[in-house]
Parts: sequence; structure tokens; C-alpha cells
Amino acid sequence: MKILIADDSRVMRQIVVRTLRQAGFGDHDLVEAADGQEAFDKTTAEQPDLVISDWNMPHMTGIEVLRQLRAAGNNVKFGFVTSECTPEMKTAAEAAGSAFFIVKPFTAERFDEVFAPILG
Amino acid sequence: MSVEVEVDENDLAEMVEQVWESYLDPEGVSPLMQTYDENQPSEVHSSVSITGSWNGHVVYASSRAAAQRAAAAFLAMELDEVSEEDISDTLGELANIVGGNVKAMLPPGAQLSLPQVVLAPEASARFPNTERISGVYGLWEGEPVSISMWQSSTDTKEEGA
Repeated sequence: MKILIADDSRVMRQIVVRTLRQAGFGDHDLVEAADGQEAFDKTTAEQPDLVISDWNMPHMTGIEVLRQLRAAGNNVKFGFVTSECTPEMKTAAEAAGSAFFIVKPFTAERFDEVFAPILG
Repeated sequence: MSVEVEVDENDLAEMVEQVWESYLDPEGVSPLMQTYDENQPSEVHSSVSITGSWNGHVVYASSRAAAQRAAAAFLAMELDEVSEEDISDTLGELANIVGGNVKAMLPPGAQLSLPQVVLAPEASARFPNTERISGVYGLWEGEPVSISMWQSSTDTKEEGA
């Protein structure tokens, strides 16, 4: 499977990659995007099976990326890894079609719990 | 109008503990030892601003050595491999993580800014018309680290929610 990791923080993208490995998902094809626009473009161009996105990013926020993908008819499995987690954000994410919501800081156990059903 | 803030030292300490458990000290061998010294020195700092239902800043500050150690832990690198960019990115992410967790405890309608990093002491920073309302101050393997919240006393000039 191909997984796109979208986060404007290079450090956080590396932590997500490492945590995926620790949780046993390191064999998947990992692609990175450094802001919302790049996340949208790469999701369209590279057609990943899963998008793991930050919320707060330059150019386009994660929720805007998700909404634009859905508006364009793209139904890729998409969820958030973010330090911000308010009830209104969760509601907005679910309404837009988000599959999961992981709050930073996170652990490999949390990744396993969320991604095992998705990645097998 | 800013609301009475509902995030206190204990909440901040809990967030800090989670960051240490998840990224900086997963083995649980070198926690942040609280000193309660709000005047402890720093050499680098990062911050995020929150506007809307609460207006202010969340600031992460530490010695350069502590920032280097944090970057090494975040990036799974040796200390001597850590670059200036690694330190900046790590500091930004630390402010973002704590700021995001603070935001989650505020009333609805708060916006979080992107982080700002300054490789200079927190004492050199000025957040006009703000006062420090809470903070966690401690030593991590002997190096100073602090996380503090600064509330705007007047928020009429701040960006609206």
C-alpha cells in the first residue's frame, strides 16, 4: 500500500514514519508532502491508499485538503494526526469523511490501534 | 473578551509529561524535574499564538543543549549529528504540540498560529500587553526547559475569532 504523510514539520513527518515502522507498518510505500497544497497535488497524482495529514499547515489546512479531495470525487482513506483536538474539529473531520483522528503526542500503540484495521 | 483561562500548571505539567513519554524520554529514565523557578535561563525558544476565545502565546524555552538533545530524540539521531535546522524544526514542533493541546482545553473558537522559532533566549522575546499566567519550569538531565502561557491583557487589537 502507498501512504502519504502530510505535515509541514519535517521533524513530525520523520516521527510519523518512525512510529509507523515501530508499529509494524514500515514495509509500505511512504510518500511525504510538506504543506496542504502539496498534499492535495500528490494525493491526486500519486493516488495513495491512505493519507495521514496534519491539520494546521500553510497554503491549505488538512481539512481543506480533505474537502477538496472529496469535492473532486477522490475517496481516498484520509485521517488526521494533529496536536489540536477540539470537539468541533473532530465533528468537522468526520463530516468531511475523515477515517481517524490521532492526537499528538502519540505512541506506536496508538498507531497500531488505528492503522491495523486499515493496513492489515 | 478573553475568558478566564482554564489551563493551569497541572494541565501544562500533564501535557509535558505526555511529550516526554512519547518522544523525549520513551524509556522513562530522564523526566523533566520541576524546579518551579520561572526565572531560569534559556538560550533558545519557540512559540505559538492562540487567538479567538482566548488570546495569548504558548512558549517553549530551553538551553541549546536541551534543544539539541530534544532534536536527537525526535529524529532518532546521535547528538553530534543534529543540525541547526533540526533544532529549529524540533523547537517549532514542541511549541506546536503543547500549543495544540492547550487549545484543545480552551472554549470553542480558538485559532492556533504556525510556530515561530528564535535561537535566542526567551528573555529577549517581547509579547506586548501580556502577562505570564502559568508555566512549568524544570531541568532535563540538568538542562533548563520551560513551557509557559502568556495571556493578552487587551485583546481588542488581536485578530478576531
